[in-house]
Amino acid sequence: MQVYLPIAAMSVDVLLLVGVGFGVGWLSGLFGVGGGFLLTPVLMLLGIPSTVAVASGANQTLGASVSGLMAQARRGNVDWQMGGVLVAGGLVGSVVGVQIFALLRRAGQVDAAVAIFYVVVLGSVGTLMVMESVRAIFRRRNARAHRLHNHTWAHGLPFKVRFRKSRLYISVIPPLGVGFLIGVLSAVMGVGGGFMLVPAMIYILGMPTAVVIGTSLFQVVCVTASVTFLQAIQVGGVDIVLTLLLLLGGVAGAQFGAAMGGKLRGEETRALLGLLVLSVAGSLLWDLWRVPATLFSVGPAW
Amino acid sequence: MAGAGDFVLGRAGVVAALKGRMLGAMLLVSLWPALAAAQPAELVARLSTGVVAITTAFVGESILVFGSTEQPLGPGGDEVIILARGPSGPFVVRRKVEVVGLWLNGPSARFEDVPVFYAIAGTRPAWRLLPEDIRRERQLGLDSIPLVSTGARAPGFRRALIELKTSSRLWQEDAVPIEIAGSRLFNFRLTLPSTVQPGSYSVEVLLVRARRIVATEQLGFVVERTGSAADIEKVARGQPVVYALICIVLAAFAGWAGSVVFRRV
Repeated sequence: MQVYLPIAAMSVDVLLLVGVGFGVGWLSGLFGVGGGFLLTPVLMLLGIPSTVAVASGANQTLGASVSGLMAQARRGNVDWQMGGVLVAGGLVGSVVGVQIFALLRRAGQVDAAVAIFYVVVLGSVGTLMVMESVRAIFRRRNARAHRLHNHTWAHGLPFKVRFRKSRLYISVIPPLGVGFLIGVLSAVMGVGGGFMLVPAMIYILGMPTAVVIGTSLFQVVCVTASVTFLQAIQVGGVDIVLTLLLLLGGVAGAQFGAAMGGKLRGEETRALLGLLVLSVAGSLLWDLWRVPATLFSVGPAW
Repeated sequence: MAGAGDFVLGRAGVVAALKGRMLGAMLLVSLWPALAAAQPAELVARLSTGVVAITTAFVGESILVFGSTEQPLGPGGDEVIILARGPSGPFVVRRKVEVVGLWLNGPSARFEDVPVFYAIAGTRPAWRLLPEDIRRERQLGLDSIPLVSTGARAPGFRRALIELKTSSRLWQEDAVPIEIAGSRLFNFRLTLPSTVQPGSYSVEVLLVRARRIVATEQLGFVVERTGSAADIEKVARGQPVVYALICIVLAAFAGWAGSVVFRRV
């Protein structure tokens, strides 16, 4: 059954879209991530214009993260104070990111730029994840006591604030910077950024893992809402029909994935997620690398 | 006797008849324009529909162009050419270049007034039916669309534009033949892919005889978005702020509602 996407101005198979949503939702439930970093490239592979794929991907991630945030907030796992600082940085970042996106589109470089962003970000995050989890798997045998968190360069900066929930007394500059960067990436890549935000919160900010998921979801919901808004008014790429069809499959898939994810051990899950992230980066790099089948492309002039 | 009388009468009748025919001929000459209008037209053509609606279930559409001619069609007789065009707009063609191993968009050429849809078909290809200057003037054939570019000048861009538009079936040249029935009826199935743009489309049916266009029929149809697809597009374009807020609220609500439903499963 075909459905006409009003903003993308093309017709796509409904079952295919719901299936893609389900598959990505299943993986995101399994690994506890938003899944935007899988969704946007898959949409682009299906032939959906990258402007629509990025904007609708961000909108879908918003929907997919809301229920998670509500569940985490109910359990009191959200550090609203830290989240507020992250969101402040994220909102500024999303504004900058959408400007970059609009500029790239005018220059006709959106497709390649989005792909390069994916290759660089997913490549480095995936490598770190695999390395870290492999190290953790080996270390498990001779486990030793962990400190609450490691002190890094991030703790020597000015404007220190006490974050009670996270039991941290650190400068606001690192969380603002992290939020800003994730905001930019969210706008350009159409992702929530949870897969980068979570490690950044643990390793750079030194937040306790209990509040990391809930707080990152708070940032993801706010920033994807901002990206949706800005993309819709500035680039006009948000296709609500596409978003809702993807959500339909995605929400169902996430429940099944989460049920399965409980049976996997933390390190193995992270290693698998790292490999998945690396394979997405690899396939996008291959597309950039190989000699294209058609050298020319045509699009309406802006 | 009777025979002579007949002859006399006959002669008188012939004379009268001759006079009558001369009068008739004179009348015919003086009334020629009026009579010509009353005669059956050389060419009549119609479309099966005047409106193509893009709904949320739109997968493309095909329109029947049909009609009849007075003189027989086919080899040695008259020929028909059908040309359909959509609205025009500017397009950019980009060429990928290799930059440190990666293929990025490089030089580009901008073409003004490019028809978003163009389809031509004939009982025989237009270039075999008409002299080159008429064909160019009427823009009959993909190679005769005046594609003026700014930016990169290489002829490859023009060729690439034609190839890309043809492969997306937005431009068609003799893709489907015109079918002829009983040497006077013709019909042609004009196929619009799902990527057609809204706007008013013109369909020109030309009757060709002895390398000249002897009659034309101007037809047209409108492609418009209707139903929810139209409403969504209209709100998104006209009130982007409202649309953006709706998208945020709808996505958040759908995500929440979906998780409630599927948690119970």
